[in-house]
Amino acid sequence: MAHFPHRETDLQLMERIGWHQVKAVENRAMKRNFWKAFAFMSPAIVLVCGLLLMPVVYNIYFSFTKWKKFSGLDEFAGFSNYARLPGNPYFDAAFYNTAIWVAASIVFPLAIGFGLAVFLRGVAFGNVFKNIIFLPRILAPTAVAVIWFHVYAPHGVLNSLLALVMGQPVDIGWLYQDNTVTPAIIATFVWQSVGLVMVLVLLGLSAIPKDPLEAARVDGATNAQAFWHIILPLLMPTLVVVTILSVLSGFTTFDLLWVMGVGYPGQRTLSLAVYMYFESFQKGSWAFGSAIAVIIGIVVFSVTWIQTVMQSRVDRMTR
Amino acid sequence: MALATHQIDFAAIEAKERAATKKKWPSVIVALLISLIWVVPFYYMAVSVFKTHAEYTANNPLSIPEGMSPIVDNAISAWNTAKMGAGFANSALYGLVGAGFAVFFAAMAAYGLTRISFKRQNFWFMLIFAGTIFPFQIYLIPLFFAYQKVGIINTHFGMLLFYTAVCIPFPVLVLRNYLNGLSREMDEAARMDGASEFRVFWSIILPNCIGPMTATFLLQFTWIWNDLLFSTVLGNREEVRSIMNSLQIFHGSYTTAGPNLSLTAALIASLPAIVLFLLLRRHFMEGMRVTGV
Amino acid sequence: MNFKTKLLSLAFAGLMSASVVSAYAAEVTLVHDKAFWAEALQKVGDAATKATGVPMKQNAYSPPEQYKAYMQSSVAANDPPDIFTWWTGGVYEELIKTGAVAELDDIWAEMIKSGEFSEGVRDFYKVGDHVYGVPLHLSRWIVLYNKADYAKAGISEPKTWAEFVSNAEKLKAAGITPFVATTQDGWRGFIWFEEIMLRTNPEAYMGLHTGKVAYDSEPVRNAFKIWADWYAKGYFSDPRSTEEVADFAKGKGSMNLIGDWAIGLVEKAGMKPGADFDAFIMPNMDPALPSSTILEGGPIMLSKKGMAKPEVVNALKYFVSVDGANVWAAASGNALGNSKANPPNVIVKKINDDVAAMKTASYPRWWEAVPADLQGEMVAELNRFMLTPTMETAESVMTNTQKLNAAYWADKQ
Repeated sequence: MAHFPHRETDLQLMERIGWHQVKAVENRAMKRNFWKAFAFMSPAIVLVCGLLLMPVVYNIYFSFTKWKKFSGLDEFAGFSNYARLPGNPYFDAAFYNTAIWVAASIVFPLAIGFGLAVFLRGVAFGNVFKNIIFLPRILAPTAVAVIWFHVYAPHGVLNSLLALVMGQPVDIGWLYQDNTVTPAIIATFVWQSVGLVMVLVLLGLSAIPKDPLEAARVDGATNAQAFWHIILPLLMPTLVVVTILSVLSGFTTFDLLWVMGVGYPGQRTLSLAVYMYFESFQKGSWAFGSAIAVIIGIVVFSVTWIQTVMQSRVDRMTR
Repeated sequence: MALATHQIDFAAIEAKERAATKKKWPSVIVALLISLIWVVPFYYMAVSVFKTHAEYTANNPLSIPEGMSPIVDNAISAWNTAKMGAGFANSALYGLVGAGFAVFFAAMAAYGLTRISFKRQNFWFMLIFAGTIFPFQIYLIPLFFAYQKVGIINTHFGMLLFYTAVCIPFPVLVLRNYLNGLSREMDEAARMDGASEFRVFWSIILPNCIGPMTATFLLQFTWIWNDLLFSTVLGNREEVRSIMNSLQIFHGSYTTAGPNLSLTAALIASLPAIVLFLLLRRHFMEGMRVTGV
Repeated sequence: MNFKTKLLSLAFAGLMSASVVSAYAAEVTLVHDKAFWAEALQKVGDAATKATGVPMKQNAYSPPEQYKAYMQSSVAANDPPDIFTWWTGGVYEELIKTGAVAELDDIWAEMIKSGEFSEGVRDFYKVGDHVYGVPLHLSRWIVLYNKADYAKAGISEPKTWAEFVSNAEKLKAAGITPFVATTQDGWRGFIWFEEIMLRTNPEAYMGLHTGKVAYDSEPVRNAFKIWADWYAKGYFSDPRSTEEVADFAKGKGSMNLIGDWAIGLVEKAGMKPGADFDAFIMPNMDPALPSSTILEGGPIMLSKKGMAKPEVVNALKYFVSVDGANVWAAASGNALGNSKANPPNVIVKKINDDVAAMKTASYPRWWEAVPADLQGEMVAELNRFMLTPTMETAESVMTNTQKLNAAYWADKQ
């Protein structure tokens, strides 16, 4: 290393000017450093605050106002927008469907992705299959929605395949009926997202150290025991992260519902995300729409909070 | 984010997996059957783009096309109906410039957060990172009205501004983690030699960040390319319309386009992202590993 | 250092594109949400550019919800477009109430004086004492029918309700589905509801829009009974189709109740107007009732700001002139009520003659007449009926729509 003549050690400095001055010098340096660092951070901070955080604040503010169409004049309205939510049949239905999305996107992507990961690990040409299953991930949700809209169409792929199996014509309007529309769109969501879950689980699996497994084998553990007591706990952190990612992307999905739900009379009730769009952009109930957006935010935070709790518990378990 | 801490050797994993593979044919057949669920929709799209509207309606959706030639008409017609040329240009602009600026600004911020010590670093990091924790729906209404008021609604500038902003927090997280793990020797040395902070950032840190920057750039580019929600709300005029937004014309009331056309359009719109993925698969996987997105 | 060069060029490209926000020039831009007519409107624009010397362009928004949102916010920001298309009815009145749009009384006075427009057309765009719009298109809602199917079933254009019903019966007996009707794009649900209401009880039909007639009242139930009965008899095509025009052109149903703007689309799908298909005005159930049709008239409007610009006013005048109307008719197949202009096709000409002969009255379309706040939810309910067309569904549709309706009118008082 080069020689730096003008640099003195902290100890030398302290001896020369005394402890308090060191503090002051350090503080000054910290302050100068802050502005230096701020210069580097400022584009990011300005853009994030101006275009992301400010809108959030405004949205919350809007949700407590009453808006007049076209004039946009707002007056304080307290909780009246929120008071209108429960009991409103569209909101109730949208909330119910959102809950289904949350539940389904906890269970299916993980269960299927995990299953596929474990299964395909031991199969010949596994990589080919993995690539095929991963493929939809790189398509835009809009494109995926267009494909599946026609797959589910009355004269579409699914019905014609079912007809082949059953030997008689099948005429189910998957995207037109109350009892099939949400499961059908969730299936499409899972179809698109399961590849990523699978890849992440595979990465997690391959990062598991061999030693504890071999030790367990020596101790006479069965495969199932090894799986439950060693692999699963070690994989837990991956599984938690993967689940949270699926859930958050699941119930805030817009593109799939927007494109695939066009024929369903109850499209606005398919989820809170769609209902919010209908209320604000179609009907001009901006303040009401803002309140729905806040509710979506609350759901997101609840899920994230549960994640944090679970993750810390998992961390404690694995340690 | 727990994944970000693992450092994984891809080659070793693949070797390990190959070793673990047992060549049992029954399980291959099961795997084949399962993968049909993924193959069939793609096969359906692939055959449909080769059919005329009449052929599509007359035959089973999975039937093999009678000829290859209709794809030319389909492509031209889809391209013109949806004005996909403009959509491509716009989305390419938003993706390249928006994601480019976002990753560059993120690198700057990550540099400030990791290479200069100051008080409450964590606060400033959280402030930037807070941009990722809200659902997108919560931005829509305020942005729409603010853009209208400032007069940047339906402008390229307005679209770029938002896309840049929304794509910043994530690369900041990734690059901060990356820089924390990167040795400080080189930049300390340069600083000792009297290089300015910007010089250190530009000549030492940036060249060392190309890997994670490319990975996050690709992810953010794809996100912008695929976005429908914000391009629907903030950019609806023809001259600023994004490619995904332009596909909506096939859901318009007065078009006579059949499924063959809307599928062709969906395929064309997806092509750049697919090609990019196939060319830069390693970077994508790296990005997904690091980010879990 | 290749990477940095790339970064720099990216940054440069970004700055360049950011600076090209919008170059101002003296030109007129018609703002609209009819992307499907964008090319046709541009043809009129090109002709107007030639005629007036000021470049006229068009700018399409889509989907319509986004366009409405854009208009709302632009009016709120006090910066509405100079010249734009809109809808009549509830949303028309809402927009006028903001005071942002210009009165077009003087322009209309000229239009009527020239003998090209009738006062009836003007009154269609009147709210209170003033007129605020000129026609972008004036479309009557008529029944298009497949001539080959009619010949096959040995039937002719119906003059009475009984003939209309027996035609459907004969078509069905000949193995042909009588009517094409879909829920495509989510707005079509009102079409048959509106028409059956108008044919059975025009007074009740009008009463629905002012809150005087309930959506679960007898006249409405009666209309649903007829509608459900026809569905039960298999008169309608698959409501889930997303290709209504193509369905008609391919013979999946032999009649299509639709605005005459669809004639151009059917022609594009391969049928020749007059030769392959023709149209009639649906007869009333009670022969004593006067002849009537639903009239749809999309308006072009000016903001007060636009009214102050002579080039904008000239562009508007060109659009409704004989020349403008002819270019528009040729390009889009739409008429806009200029009686000296050429009818866009033989079918519109024939219907115009029928209207003159029968002194056919015009009724507003349900879509425009229903309060704007109720439009979306109610039409979704009507679509729901079409997908499960039983009286059971009808009862719940009536209950739900009346709940919305009652709440709306109670709120108004």
